[in-house]
Amino acid sequence: MKTIKYSVILLLLIAAVLLPVFTDAYFISVAITILTFMTLSLSWDMMLRTGQLSFGTAGFFGLGGYTAVIISADLGVDPYTSIIIGGLVAGSIALVLGIAILKLREIYFAITTLALASVFSVIIRNLHKITGGPSGKIVYQTLFDYDSTKIYWLMLGIALGTIVISELFKRTRIHFAVDSIRADEVVAKSHGVDIFKYLIFVFVVTSMIQGVVGAAYAQQYGFVSPESTFSAHYLLLPISMALVGGIYSTIGPIVGAIILGLSSEYLKLMMPYGHLIIYGVIIVLVVLFIPRGVYGTIRDFISERKHR
Amino acid sequence: MDSILKVQNVTKHFGGLVAVNNVSLDIAKGEILGLIGPNGAGKTTLTNLISGIHWVNEGKIIFEDKDITLLPTHKRCRLGIARTFQIARPLKNMTVVENVMVGGLFGEKRTLRQARMEAEEICSRIGLEKLDTHFDKITVLDIKKIELARAMATNPRLIFLDEVMSGLNMDETRDMINTVRKLRDSGVTVCIIEHVMSVIRELTERVIVLDRGEIIAEGPYSEVSMQHNVISAYLGEDA
Repeated sequence: MKTIKYSVILLLLIAAVLLPVFTDAYFISVAITILTFMTLSLSWDMMLRTGQLSFGTAGFFGLGGYTAVIISADLGVDPYTSIIIGGLVAGSIALVLGIAILKLREIYFAITTLALASVFSVIIRNLHKITGGPSGKIVYQTLFDYDSTKIYWLMLGIALGTIVISELFKRTRIHFAVDSIRADEVVAKSHGVDIFKYLIFVFVVTSMIQGVVGAAYAQQYGFVSPESTFSAHYLLLPISMALVGGIYSTIGPIVGAIILGLSSEYLKLMMPYGHLIIYGVIIVLVVLFIPRGVYGTIRDFISERKHR
Repeated sequence: MDSILKVQNVTKHFGGLVAVNNVSLDIAKGEILGLIGPNGAGKTTLTNLISGIHWVNEGKIIFEDKDITLLPTHKRCRLGIARTFQIARPLKNMTVVENVMVGGLFGEKRTLRQARMEAEEICSRIGLEKLDTHFDKITVLDIKKIELARAMATNPRLIFLDEVMSGLNMDETRDMINTVRKLRDSGVTVCIIEHVMSVIRELTERVIVLDRGEIIAEGPYSEVSMQHNVISAYLGEDA
């Protein structure tokens, strides 16, 4: 059973790496978008596992993007290094903010993270000299000179890295800390779990991932602006993907990103106007009828049968 | 008396309600102490103050000569203070053995493998089976045992058992009494909060009686249970 599992993973991995060889430029660009949102979705889910609903995804994505473009354009940092620095800046800001806001819970935490994302965008809009203000900022030397195959491999690498981190969170003591915090904080702390430490740690790691994705995304186009970079897209799509695929797992957000990513492209071709309506209907139907998501429902079905 | 825990003049109020009023007590190393009193006497609040779920308004708590009054809950656990909850609180997103592992992983900093082995060992010692089932298919007794096993896994020096016997039938109670005895014999000091008086009579060497947040009596159960003020606290002034 284990060998089958690892062979399947290996095959999928080879297929993912070799994908650009067999497909056209259009499909590669779709795949890049899917990988981008998949990584955001997974990072959002990793925070959700602690019981904290974060709406800050788009904010840290935007921070990473702006950091990368600014240091490349003004300080001449090369694009690859700028992606790492983008992640580090997002992570450091998450650390400082997390110390302040991770005392909050539930809806209060959620609404504060949402507000913070807007605050980032307002600040950036008003720092004309550094950020270019409302019209945004351009960097002329872009990542891999628009070579979409290389960009695909970069995004795949970031996605795989995030998958590995997510699985580490699932297989180490972090899993027990995070799940006990979500279930019952009083029980967790009475049994030695340092709740605040784990919340900060997960918040910083996931924000860093969001910063890296934002930086890599901005570097592909060499452009950031307050509207496009802090768009609610980078918050709402990842959340819908995780819900459709199944929350609290690594595979769920991956499955959700592929389903919603492919169907949105297909719907766009089918009906250029109004495809978002169908898209919305899909999400509503999934939440209503299979609240555990596609992967979650299948997993629970299999384990039910096994225990019978 | 060589004491493991000293509570000194502790007061806790919630708004205008004084839940614990100027309480001082010592728990001796290695004893089984009973904490009794009518509903609302402040027994659970006192446990919450000692384990750090609530902060005291006044007074000091000293554990093994260390002032822990201002220490957060998880650090008190790591020092060796464990407790169960009156209304059992299983972690519903985990299996039986995973619940117990939480205690071992964070109360005592074991590795995953060690924590699992330790958890399995504790479960078999107290007769908890079906380790890999989720809690929703488990009996009341098993949920009570999870509470106990999870607290034991933190490797405590002092354990508070908050009504672990309530809701159990006679065989199960007997089972639980033996478990508590074995626990004490392994070197853990036990403070047991209980409404089942036969259990208190059988297990404890000493009881402390709380009423309306104050200590009204202290001593062996046989003596204390005869005192007029204790009887009237339970049954009312006319009894």
